[in-house]
Amino acid sequence: MIKNWKRIGIVLGVIILGVLVARFLILPRLQPHVFGGAVIQSNQQAPRTDLISADGPVSIADFEGEVVVVYFGYTFCPDVCPATLNKLADSMALLGDRADEVQIMMVSVDPARDTPELLKEYVTHFHPDFIGVTGDEATVNRVATLFGVVYEVAAGTEATGYTIDHTSTVILVDREGYLKLVLPFEGTAEQIAADIEYFLG
Amino acid sequence: MRKKWIIRSVVPVVLLFVAVGAFVVFEPIQVLPRIRISPGYLLMNQDAETMTSEDVRGDIVLYSFTYSECGEECMDIHNTMIEVQSRLGEIDTGDVDVRFVTISFDPETDTPEVLTEYASRLDADPDVWQFATGDPVHLENVVKAGFEVYYQEHAGGDFSFAPVFILVDGWGVIRGEYRYQTNASDADKIVRHLDVLGEEVRNSHGAASLAYEAAHFFLCYP
Repeated sequence: MIKNWKRIGIVLGVIILGVLVARFLILPRLQPHVFGGAVIQSNQQAPRTDLISADGPVSIADFEGEVVVVYFGYTFCPDVCPATLNKLADSMALLGDRADEVQIMMVSVDPARDTPELLKEYVTHFHPDFIGVTGDEATVNRVATLFGVVYEVAAGTEATGYTIDHTSTVILVDREGYLKLVLPFEGTAEQIAADIEYFLG
Repeated sequence: MRKKWIIRSVVPVVLLFVAVGAFVVFEPIQVLPRIRISPGYLLMNQDAETMTSEDVRGDIVLYSFTYSECGEECMDIHNTMIEVQSRLGEIDTGDVDVRFVTISFDPETDTPEVLTEYASRLDADPDVWQFATGDPVHLENVVKAGFEVYYQEHAGGDFSFAPVFILVDGWGVIRGEYRYQTNASDADKIVRHLDVLGEEVRNSHGAASLAYEAAHFFLCYP
């Protein structure tokens, strides 16, 4: 009788141990984090060109050790940019304290109208820690190209002036300065926060 | 009695190892690595229309690079494109289109008229294959810095350049780079990779997509 209890105890122990190992060691590995966008698998260094913010020159290299989320937009942008920046602000809120290790950066695709001061006022309206950067036309064009972004002046209305059609992806740069993730416009704040958290480690 | 227990506990572990081993050896799922972000570009095509990287977002695109005055030397590059174009019927990419874009780095000579004439000379199907060029400074950013394709103009209008084909997926991510020492290239390889990419696209929904992401994960995740 006692022998039987012993055996049942051992079997139960093994089962519980097995379940724990499967749940915490095997399953997380078999079930990779599902990203909201396309992950770049090689080490593609983000352009380290100096851009200008209201508080002086800014380069991706300044944020080594942090995850940098880069978005291209402009302050006169009627719909897409505010929606994306709101979403990014929401994802920062979801990250809580870990948001300190993240820098959200908007690069202007409208350097003619977006002064560094105007950009600062615009992006901090969404979140106090966001930074807005610009540069001369040639610099912005080069940086945008390398981030896979294209923009084109389009005729707007008389009230708004011209508008700019631009790529609406969000690009994530990891702590070491490598381009790692391209997120589509459709991604949710929850998804973006989860992806940022993955790269925070 | 004890033997039975050992067999019962060892068999699943062995099966698991065999399954993983089979996955590695037989590669039932093949994936192309996600290499780099494909550059954004704003060019003008053979119909004098603006053509941007956003126009082909969602499509699989095969890029080649040349200039129209290259002549016979470049025919190997074009023959590869022509062969792949003729074999597109072998590939199933679901509802995703395959497109070809040939970028000329000689905008001075390659006006839309020249490119149109060039395209017809190569029997390029206008629904599939476009030719484009643009502002020289922008071209440097796109072709040299973005696609990492070398070219250099010489006095007299000739160029030296590296024969390269680049395969980009619908996300705008470079999935294949074919860099050759000579202009002679391997259309078979490109067709095979288009097929692998097509397979991934067709399985990009539901449970199958998880298996493909897992394959990426095993290959080379961050």
